[in-house]
Amino acid sequence: MTSLPLADLLGLSAALLGIGLFGILTRRNFILLLIAVEISMNAAILNFVIFSAFLSGDAGVNGQAAAVVLVGLAATEVAVGLAIVLALNRQRGSINVAEASSLKL
Amino acid sequence: MTVSFDGVFAVAYLVPLFPAIAFVVVGLFGTRLRRLEWGGWVAVFFSGLAMVLSLVIALGEGLNPGKFTDQTYTWLSLPHSGTGAFPGGFSLVMGTLVDPISALMLVVVNVVGFLVMLYSIGYMHHDKGLPRYYAELSLFLTAMNGLVLSDNLLEFFLFWELVGVCSYFLIGFYYEKPSAASAAKEAFLVTRIGDVLFLLGIFIYFAVYATAGAAPGWAASGFLFTSNGHPFLGTLVGTNTPLLTVAGLMMLAGAAGKSAQFPLHVWLPDAMEGPTTVSALIHAATMVAAGVYLLAVTSLFLGFTPADQLAIVAIGGFTTLFAATMALVHRDIKRVIAYSTISQLGYMVLAVGAGFTMVGLFHLWTHAFFKALLFLAAGSVIHAVGTQDLFRMGGLGRKMRLTTIAFAVGGLSLAGIPPFAGFWSKDDVLGSVLSQTASHPLYWPFFLCALITVFLTAYYIFRAFFLAFSGAAPRDASLPEAHEPPWVMRLPLVVLSGLAIVAGLLVFIPGFPNLLPGANVPPTYGTADLFLSGLSTALGVGGIGVAYSLWGNGRVFALPESSPFQPVRRLWLRLYFMKDAYDWIGLRGVYTIARAADFVDRYVIDGTIHGVERTFAELSRRLRKIQTGVVSDYAAYVVAGLAAFLLLLIFVAPWFLHAWGV
Amino acid sequence: MSPEDLAFFGLAGVAVVTALLALLVRELVHTILWVSVFFVALAGLYFLLAAPFLGVLQLGVYAGAVTILLLFGVMVTRKRIFSREAATGIGPAPLGLALLTIVLLATGAATASTADRPLAMHPVVALANTLFGIDGGWLLLLGLTMLGALAGAIYLVREGRE
Repeated sequence: MTSLPLADLLGLSAALLGIGLFGILTRRNFILLLIAVEISMNAAILNFVIFSAFLSGDAGVNGQAAAVVLVGLAATEVAVGLAIVLALNRQRGSINVAEASSLKL
Repeated sequence: MTVSFDGVFAVAYLVPLFPAIAFVVVGLFGTRLRRLEWGGWVAVFFSGLAMVLSLVIALGEGLNPGKFTDQTYTWLSLPHSGTGAFPGGFSLVMGTLVDPISALMLVVVNVVGFLVMLYSIGYMHHDKGLPRYYAELSLFLTAMNGLVLSDNLLEFFLFWELVGVCSYFLIGFYYEKPSAASAAKEAFLVTRIGDVLFLLGIFIYFAVYATAGAAPGWAASGFLFTSNGHPFLGTLVGTNTPLLTVAGLMMLAGAAGKSAQFPLHVWLPDAMEGPTTVSALIHAATMVAAGVYLLAVTSLFLGFTPADQLAIVAIGGFTTLFAATMALVHRDIKRVIAYSTISQLGYMVLAVGAGFTMVGLFHLWTHAFFKALLFLAAGSVIHAVGTQDLFRMGGLGRKMRLTTIAFAVGGLSLAGIPPFAGFWSKDDVLGSVLSQTASHPLYWPFFLCALITVFLTAYYIFRAFFLAFSGAAPRDASLPEAHEPPWVMRLPLVVLSGLAIVAGLLVFIPGFPNLLPGANVPPTYGTADLFLSGLSTALGVGGIGVAYSLWGNGRVFALPESSPFQPVRRLWLRLYFMKDAYDWIGLRGVYTIARAADFVDRYVIDGTIHGVERTFAELSRRLRKIQTGVVSDYAAYVVAGLAAFLLLLIFVAPWFLHAWGV
Repeated sequence: MSPEDLAFFGLAGVAVVTALLALLVRELVHTILWVSVFFVALAGLYFLLAAPFLGVLQLGVYAGAVTILLLFGVMVTRKRIFSREAATGIGPAPLGLALLTIVLLATGAATASTADRPLAMHPVVALANTLFGIDGGWLLLLGLTMLGALAGAIYLVREGRE
């Protein structure tokens, strides 16, 4: 059990989110992109856990419940993301997102 | 005598209808007839019917003095509502108003019209466009009769424009000739200036009289000229307000355009590009008189203010002299007569302006006959020798005795030699205006213009007469042998010669003066009048004498090159440079304005639009670059949005919360 | 500074460093190794924050399932598993944006209450009640979402689709 102030803990999650965003913005490999998204996601889950630890009663329990759901969602997202990776790989022979740019005008 | 003419007055609409039938028949089927003249005879027949009916109407008006018969059909009516723009309601009507002056005008239009139609059978026989000619001429007679019979201002304007269109068609009858086409356009455009102002005048009268104020019922009744035999706005005549003065000036402008008064006179001489018969009917006897008729109607039913009257007198008086001077030097026989027409119309305008409406109409009446006669006689000459150049003619009197006599009668009438028609009316005009100079000293110069013009008129018309008919042989030997025209052309000449002699004397016949109620006919001569008559007759005879001494017996007078009058002569030959001035205005003024407008349109308005367009095109060209289709880039925008949102939340929102005291 | 605080700082450092390494190394398999370490470090942090159930879940789902899934993804998309990514330059704009976000979030976090208060312990039973309870229905929603995702994933990877 740690006794650090809330601000320090939130600083950690902020740093992790920033790293995740940095990855999302700079990486072009789809799998790396997924990993960066997972890091950001984990930062968010960490935030829920931190707040739930600082709240008592139902409010705190709800925070943990949200974190559980988010973990499940993140796993789901990885599954769907990998399905997209497979489809992309089969269609274009590459998982570089810079090459999959047919969305533009 | 108590013969009732009510039935005839009630069917006055037949007068314009007869030529309309001819217009439809000849216009639709004229080219399919085996001989083109047959269409002409159809038109002659129907205009003859119209002439008979209008003579009966005139007889009826002569026997029933001051009778007004108004047949009105309301085709649009807004009911009385009490509120809105037309609290008293608003109607548009068509109708015929038979009153003394319209009866007089009907006779002028249809008698001259019929005779010209008849004459045209001979004059135009060689022309392939005969059906077109007769259709247009019939349409013109329809429009002119409609105009004369109009019982309200809007209908009047309608037919006014219609005669303008017919005039355009007929001036441009020889449309293959560039000069004729451009003369037609010129006539149309110049009269259009007057017409637009005329329309403005109608609007002003409408605003003053119809919507509110003194005569709220005027609009509700459809702008009628009369009601129950009296002018609808009769009680308002003479009301002097600046707005009514402007309205009167607008009417004058309309009349000046149609009657070719200074400064809108330039189109009439060029209108001589049309067939001579058209010149006789439209550009001498009837349509150009419509302007005078407009002034007469306005002065009788709407009223002019004193300022308007002075303006009308000034325009009319000045135009008499102005046009007469130009007639002195021209060598084209039709143009000489055309300038004479402008000058004579000036007399009519002058009389109406001075307050003697009926005197002006009297001059219109006599002028219509002798001027049509002059034109038809000139047409007969042109028909015989194939040129309009006076200096190539000469000696025609021996070959064309009837034409010579006809031209002489017309000339004497125009010159105002008693007892020819022109004398009575011109004398009446001069006497009337003179009687007003005592109370209106400003009329003096214009009276003097008119008086001097008597001399000039006699001179220029007899200059033309002597040049064409006197002498032994044509100056240009290459001219074809002259011959008298066929009977269809001779008959109108004879009839019009008779009318040119007796049209003025008619005033002594009981009943005829009823067509000109209020005019001083037959004249009652005082000492001053007798003196004036003597003076004007002397001037006329003097003019003829000078013309004879210079041009008689085949003489040709050449002004010496060293003469101090050479610049004046050149000025007249160049028409006072007014056409050049108009060209300059058209070319420089209008073109400059058009260029400026073009610049504004091209660079300011279009520039703004294109600028907006280009701004957005450029903006979207750059903006679409951020839409790369790469997921990472979209993620970057999301992150940027997140950062912006955080910035707002952390830095801006607290400031607002603080400001609001939360 | 208590041992727990030291442990926290240690785990936090590990999490940050491994996250960075995962994104910066050029061998994709190495990335997955580093990110699995990251997941484990985060699980430890959850234990320290009085959420042992979540810690276990993190280990099971992330360190276990997700890592294997990612590895599987690398295997099927590559002919050779150990192949280096082409070096990608790091532009100043993404870096700046990420840093700006961190700074802003930290600034916001700094306004949080600094009051020293004991961490709340939540019994796992309470969490279970919330997750499975009628009023919550969290897992029901999660299950429906996963079902939809399953259908989508099957649609995406099925054979013969061009």
